[in-house]
Amino acid sequence: MSPLKPIRKVLVANRGEIAVRVMRTCQEMGIATVAVYSDADRGALHVRRADEAVHLGPSPARESYLVVDKVIDAARKTGADAVHPGYGFLSERPELPRALEKAGLAFVGPPAAAMEVMGVKTSARAAMQAAGVPVVPGSPGTLDGEAEALAAAAALGFPVMIKAAAGGGGKGMKRCERPEDLGKLWASAKRESAAAFGDDRLYLEKALDRPRHVEVQIFCDDHGGALWLGERECSVQRRHQKVVEESPSPLLDEPLRQAMGEVAVTAARAVGYRGAGTVEFLVDAERRFYFLEMNTRLQVEHPVTEMVTGLDLVRLQLEVAQGLPLPAQGDVVRRGHAVEARVYAEDPARGFLPSPGKITYLRLPGGPGVREDGGVYTGWVVPPYYDPLLSKLVAWAPTREQAIARLRRALSEYTLHGIATNVSYLAAVLDHPAFRAGDYDTGFCARYEKELLRRPDPSLEEVALIAAAVEAQKRDQDEAEAFAARAGARAEGSAWARQGRIAARRGRGR
Amino acid sequence: MSRYVALLEGGRELPVEVTPDGPGIFQVRLGDRVFRVDAFKHDYGTLSLIVDTASYTATLDPRAAHVNVRVRDSIFKVELLDERRLRMRRAAGRLTVDGRQPVATRVPARVVRVHVRDGDAVKEGQPLVTVAALGMENDLRSPKDGTVIALDAAPGQAVGAGAELCAVE
Repeated sequence: MSPLKPIRKVLVANRGEIAVRVMRTCQEMGIATVAVYSDADRGALHVRRADEAVHLGPSPARESYLVVDKVIDAARKTGADAVHPGYGFLSERPELPRALEKAGLAFVGPPAAAMEVMGVKTSARAAMQAAGVPVVPGSPGTLDGEAEALAAAAALGFPVMIKAAAGGGGKGMKRCERPEDLGKLWASAKRESAAAFGDDRLYLEKALDRPRHVEVQIFCDDHGGALWLGERECSVQRRHQKVVEESPSPLLDEPLRQAMGEVAVTAARAVGYRGAGTVEFLVDAERRFYFLEMNTRLQVEHPVTEMVTGLDLVRLQLEVAQGLPLPAQGDVVRRGHAVEARVYAEDPARGFLPSPGKITYLRLPGGPGVREDGGVYTGWVVPPYYDPLLSKLVAWAPTREQAIARLRRALSEYTLHGIATNVSYLAAVLDHPAFRAGDYDTGFCARYEKELLRRPDPSLEEVALIAAAVEAQKRDQDEAEAFAARAGARAEGSAWARQGRIAARRGRGR
Repeated sequence: MSRYVALLEGGRELPVEVTPDGPGIFQVRLGDRVFRVDAFKHDYGTLSLIVDTASYTATLDPRAAHVNVRVRDSIFKVELLDERRLRMRRAAGRLTVDGRQPVATRVPARVVRVHVRDGDAVKEGQPLVTVAALGMENDLRSPKDGTVIALDAAPGQAVGAGAELCAVE
C-alpha cells in the first residue's frame, strides 16, 4: 500500500544518540535526512550522519534546539516534509506540531491536543480518571503555596511526592517523609521546576510503598488502530533518572501484563492519540497499578522493546506519520529478554557530577546479541550544555539471566578514555543480587548506594602496576632515544659522549 | 633498568623497577615481588600482558598527573614518579589530603545554597555548597575533616567550570 502522505525528507530536531538513531532508520527507508546543530555541536556525529545540516544558533539549547521558529525555518530551507523531534527538547511541546501544521509540514508524533492534555500532569490525571484509568491518590490540581500543600499532604498522609505539573525526567520531583521537611523540599522543587520547564506549579501525590516503575509502549494510527508492545521495567533509577531498563518486567505475569497493556491503550485512545507513546505506571507492593504519566514521544529506552518485538519503532512512527496502518495486535510477537544500560559522562566517585570533555579513545562492545546506540566518537568533546548520555548498551538473549550476563560482558568491553563514565556503576547494578533476583523497586539505587560504588578488585592491582610501569619505561626510553637522536644529529661526535647522554637521560631517576 | 615509585590510592607508596629482558619481555619488580611479563602494545592506550600464562588487557587512560589503569572491571589510579620527581613532590608537600583542599565545581553551575560559614569545622563528606547544573541540584562535599576557609559562594551566583567555592584545611 502506498503512503497517503509520503515523507521523502525528515528533519531530525535533536542531537546526540537519538538523532543518530532516527537517521539510521531513515537511511534504511530511503528517506533523506536533515540535521540541526548548535555552535557546540558542529562536530557532532549526527551532523556527519545526515544528508544535510542546518546551523540553529548558540550552544545553550534555549537559543538553538528549543527555538521552534528556527527549526521550522530549517525545514523550509531544506525542503523537508516532516520533523522528527526525538525525545527531550521540543518533543513534548505542542507549539511544534502547531507551527508545523501551519507551515504544511508533517510531525512525526501525536496531535498537539493530545500532547497538551498529557503534558500537564494534573490535566492528564483528570483525563485518565474520566476514562476509568486508575491514578495514584493525590491533590485534585496544582497547589497554591506551602500552606495549601501542607494541608493536602496531611489529608493524603505522609510520605508524599511533590511533583511538577509540567514535570518529567524527575526534575522538580521530591519525596517528602515528614511535615517539617515540606517547606524546604517544596521550595527546592519549585526552583528546579521553574528552571527546567519555565513553570513552577506543583501538586502532590501519595508516595507508594516500594513502588515499581513499569511502562507500556503503545502505538496508534489514523485508522482507529491501536496496539501495545509489551512493557519495560524501569525501576532502577538514581534520583528519578532511569539507569537500567529491561523487558519483560520480572514482576509481571501474563494476566497483569495483558491488563496493563489494555489500560494503556484505553489511556491513549482517551486523548485521541497518534504515533508512539509510553504509558508509565507505578505498581505497588500488592501489584496494583496506577497511571503515572504518558510520554508523548519515543522513549530513551525504546530499544529494549525493539529487541523483544523485533520491530523498528522509528520505522513504525514514520509509517504512521505517512498515514499507513499499524500491524494487528495479534501479529505482535514478544520473544526473549532485553536489558539496556545508559552510559553517561558522569563520575560516580564525585557524586555523579557530569564530566564533559574530550573523548581521547573509544572502543565499543560487539559480539552476539549486543546493540550500541551511541552519539559520540574518539576525538569528540562532550559539551557541558546538554544531557550527558553517551551511549545506550542493549543486550538480547532468550532468557533474563543470559541477557543480563550478556550486557555485563558488553559493559566490560566498553572502553572510553579522557572523561569519566558511569560504566563501573552500571556493572555493579547488574551484578547486584537484588537486581539479579528481579527483586527491586524504585528505591534500589538509594538503598544499595554504598554497594553500588564499587572499589577496584585488589587482586588486580599488581597487574595494573605492571602495565603502568612497562608503559612508563617505554615512554622514558623513547624520550631518551629521541633526545639522543637529536643530540647525535647536532654533533656527530664521539659515541661515548652520546652513550653518556642516553645513560644520563635514562638514569634520571637513579 | 628504570626505577620508579608508585603512588597508590590511600597514600601508599611502592618501589617499582622495570628491566627490559628481550623483545617485549620485561622483568618488573613491585616491592619485593618480581614478575616476568610479556607485554604487547596494541592500539592507543591498550596493553596486552601475559604474566605466567594469565592473559590481561590493561587500558591506560593518562590524565593530568596520574594514569587510570583498567584491568578487567577495576580501574586503578596510579602515579609513577622517578626519584627526582618524587623529591620535588615531597618538597611541595602535596602527597596526601594534608593541607588545603580546594572545593570546586567541575561544570558551569549556579549556587543554590551555602551550608557553611568561614571557620566552620566540617567532617569528610559533609555538604558544603549546593549547586545546580544541567537542571539538577548537587552537593559539593568536604574532601576531609577540617575547617572551611576562603568561602566565596553566595546563593544565586553563577560559577564557571573549575571555580573554587571554598577550601577545607
